[in-house]
Amino acid sequence: MDMKGDFMGKPLLSVKNLSIEYEGASERTLAVDDVSFSLNRGECLGIIGESGSGKTSIAMAIMGILPSSAHVKGSIMYDDVNIQCLSEGERNMYRWGEIAVVFQNSLDVLNPVLTVHEQIYECIIEHTSLYKGEADRRVENLLELVGLDPQVSEHYPHHLSGGMRQKVLIAMALSCNPKILIVDEPTSSLDPWAKDEIIHLLKELQRQNNFAMIVISHEIHIISQLADRLQVMYSGCIMERGYTEDILQTPMHSYTRGFINSSPYINPYKDLWGIPSEAYSSSIRKGCPFYNRCYQRLELCSEKKPELSYVATEREIACNRGGIITILEAQDIDKTYEFNGNEILACKGCNIHIRSGETVVLMGESGSGKTTLATIISGVLEADSGQVQFLGKRVEGNNFTSQMGGIQIVFQDPFSSINEFLTVEEAIVEPLTITGIVEKDSRRHMVKLALKDVQLPYDDGFLARRCYTLSGGQRQRVALARSLIMQPKLLIADEVCSMLDPSTQANILRLLKGLQNAKGFSMLYITHDVAIAQKIADRLYVMHEGSISEENLLDIR
Amino acid sequence: MNRDRTKMLLGYLLTFLIIITLNFFIPRLMPGDPFTSLSSEEGDITVIYSEEQIERYKRYYGMDRPIAEQYIGYLKNLLKGNLGYSIYYNQEVVSILKNRVPWTVAIVICSLIISSFLGTILGSISAWFRNSKLDKILYISMVFISEVPAFLMGILLLFFMAGRWGLFPLSGGMSMFTQYSTKCEVILDILHHAILPVMTLSIAKLGEFYLISRSSMLSVMSKDYMKTARGKGLKSRRILFRHGLKNSILPVITRIFLSLGSIFGQAVLIENIFNYPGIGTLMRQGVMVRDYVLIQGIFLFVAITVLTMNFIADLIYKKLDSRVR
Repeated sequence: MDMKGDFMGKPLLSVKNLSIEYEGASERTLAVDDVSFSLNRGECLGIIGESGSGKTSIAMAIMGILPSSAHVKGSIMYDDVNIQCLSEGERNMYRWGEIAVVFQNSLDVLNPVLTVHEQIYECIIEHTSLYKGEADRRVENLLELVGLDPQVSEHYPHHLSGGMRQKVLIAMALSCNPKILIVDEPTSSLDPWAKDEIIHLLKELQRQNNFAMIVISHEIHIISQLADRLQVMYSGCIMERGYTEDILQTPMHSYTRGFINSSPYINPYKDLWGIPSEAYSSSIRKGCPFYNRCYQRLELCSEKKPELSYVATEREIACNRGGIITILEAQDIDKTYEFNGNEILACKGCNIHIRSGETVVLMGESGSGKTTLATIISGVLEADSGQVQFLGKRVEGNNFTSQMGGIQIVFQDPFSSINEFLTVEEAIVEPLTITGIVEKDSRRHMVKLALKDVQLPYDDGFLARRCYTLSGGQRQRVALARSLIMQPKLLIADEVCSMLDPSTQANILRLLKGLQNAKGFSMLYITHDVAIAQKIADRLYVMHEGSISEENLLDIR
Repeated sequence: MNRDRTKMLLGYLLTFLIIITLNFFIPRLMPGDPFTSLSSEEGDITVIYSEEQIERYKRYYGMDRPIAEQYIGYLKNLLKGNLGYSIYYNQEVVSILKNRVPWTVAIVICSLIISSFLGTILGSISAWFRNSKLDKILYISMVFISEVPAFLMGILLLFFMAGRWGLFPLSGGMSMFTQYSTKCEVILDILHHAILPVMTLSIAKLGEFYLISRSSMLSVMSKDYMKTARGKGLKSRRILFRHGLKNSILPVITRIFLSLGSIFGQAVLIENIFNYPGIGTLMRQGVMVRDYVLIQGIFLFVAITVLTMNFIADLIYKKLDSRVR
């Protein structure tokens, strides 16, 4: 084994099967649920997750300063010593001297009646062998190091601004040259300029002093700039772990994706949609913690708690389904039309895949073959060669369009896609009537639900109206309701907005996106409009003269 | 800043004026008058007056004049620093007070120091070991002794420690009719006499300081900076006394000065139990014989003391808590 291997093989800190439970007045809350991770020398590990996911509890457990109501299980090994088993006095030798924290910035985080100088000074006296005068000088040096005027040391904490207080906290944490620095929400209360300054400062200090760092934050912006590796926490469990860049680029757990999609930093143009509903907390937990908010949950997920396991190199996720599943995959699709003896190549060697719960935009100029591809994917049109797989099964004819939970397609022109002499009810109920998969009695109820979903009236009067009396926007909603009644897992929306006026277009778009967020279906949205693509797409395919390529959303203009 | 200070001074001045006014009227609203008193207490020379003499003295002391006129006269005299002439003792009130005040002030200050110091330490320890056996025992016993009336505690102490076991003298501020060879002996004798009253007052106040200190420390301990201090790996002693106590002591200090009012009240009772020669016994005497002038003098003294202490409390609080500066 070479030197590097040996070096990497022995982590500086390793946390094994850590569980933290808080005892409340009436019930126990599980804050951290069987978490294991390790930290190597000199690296920076990010822990990200929404508030209450247990991030800070882990940090406090490492420092051994959880309140007495917390019950801790598992081990925390620092350099082969299980510091979890040490007495309070022995632990003090590790606190600050070996592992220090930059506490979360709050008004009360520094003692209000002691000067900045005394609060830094006492750490140095306690943990190093420096004499009084040397310690005084060290305090000044530390303050200079973090970019503060040494005169600040004579001030009391309430004289400082939030940014200055953050710097004092950093200086205090570095006072005894710790090997590990835990940084808890370093920038949560700061303005953007101060944020950037603190990030830059932490990076620079780590470069100079070469300590290992654990950064805890709910801000992707901070984590992405500081952390080499990232672990995503939800409700006390690690959901995904890997290299920061990889995770942000292609999240593989549906929670991670939802979290990233909620960040304006990652999505500067796109509408923001949070993850629907709330995390629940309870001490008796069965199954996956993300169960109640997951798009692709199965019966199994309510029973079995997923283990964190590798799905790729340096990528672990905790999901019973192996992460976000690919719902549709089309490979090497070729299609040629013959027209008066001329051959028109509509699709050549098209590859496309759609994962569950995502919005994929297929963009291209008119005549580039978008609609042909969409129709092939839905199974309505047959390809010359290549095949389409939906949930692992081959798409042939109308096998999935005639199924509940299959594929549905909404077309560009609501005037011709719906028979205008049908009543609203007849138009919407038609798929159910044709397939006959639902009992007659419950159909009317389903029609009403679908109308409610698309925000149309659902009284008997409206149900009995003929479609030709409706406006374009209303008809497009009826077309949408007609697709939704089949509860599709994939909705193909082919230029659904292009014939509508801008305001109706915006309403329909938001409605679609909102429905997708609430119901969790995947969507293939076909358009020629760049701006719309940027607004709604998770991923983007561009089609040009029958060929297709995937493009980065931020690169297109 | 300056405006605040002016406001504060005006506040104190107004309070002072109200106190003077009440001070003047309260004794005069009590039933009886100085000249009909017949009782006389040990050692003091008193006179029994005839009707004619009473009339004359009333005129002499200005008590036959309308009350408003008396009030203005009183204010005028106050401005000159003249508290009047005790009717009963036939002596200047100022000089009577001069003799009596040091005794009271000494026991009050001693017991305040002892009770606040002990109370704070015990309260902090109790909070630090919250919910432990030690905490529970301390808490229950402190609540108990703070509910026992001071005079009862005094009588118990007097009965056992002085009466039964003879450890301390039964009464007075110093031994009567003895010859002292050195100054040192005088001091020891005075201390010996002061121990029981001081002990009684201290015990009476201890529970109050304990409870305040405990609850203040408990709230301080839940603060983020205490977690910071623990995280820094400091010794428990330093965390408790430097980080905790320096914050939790603020309400205790305010309470020390605020409790001056009530402790003077308790001192009055306790001095009477131990027959201690302070203003407590003097006040009882004054009330018994309706010596308006003397009572007014004592009240005025107590009021000024309490006001001054409040003022000092304000100043000290600002000094200790950098946030109010």
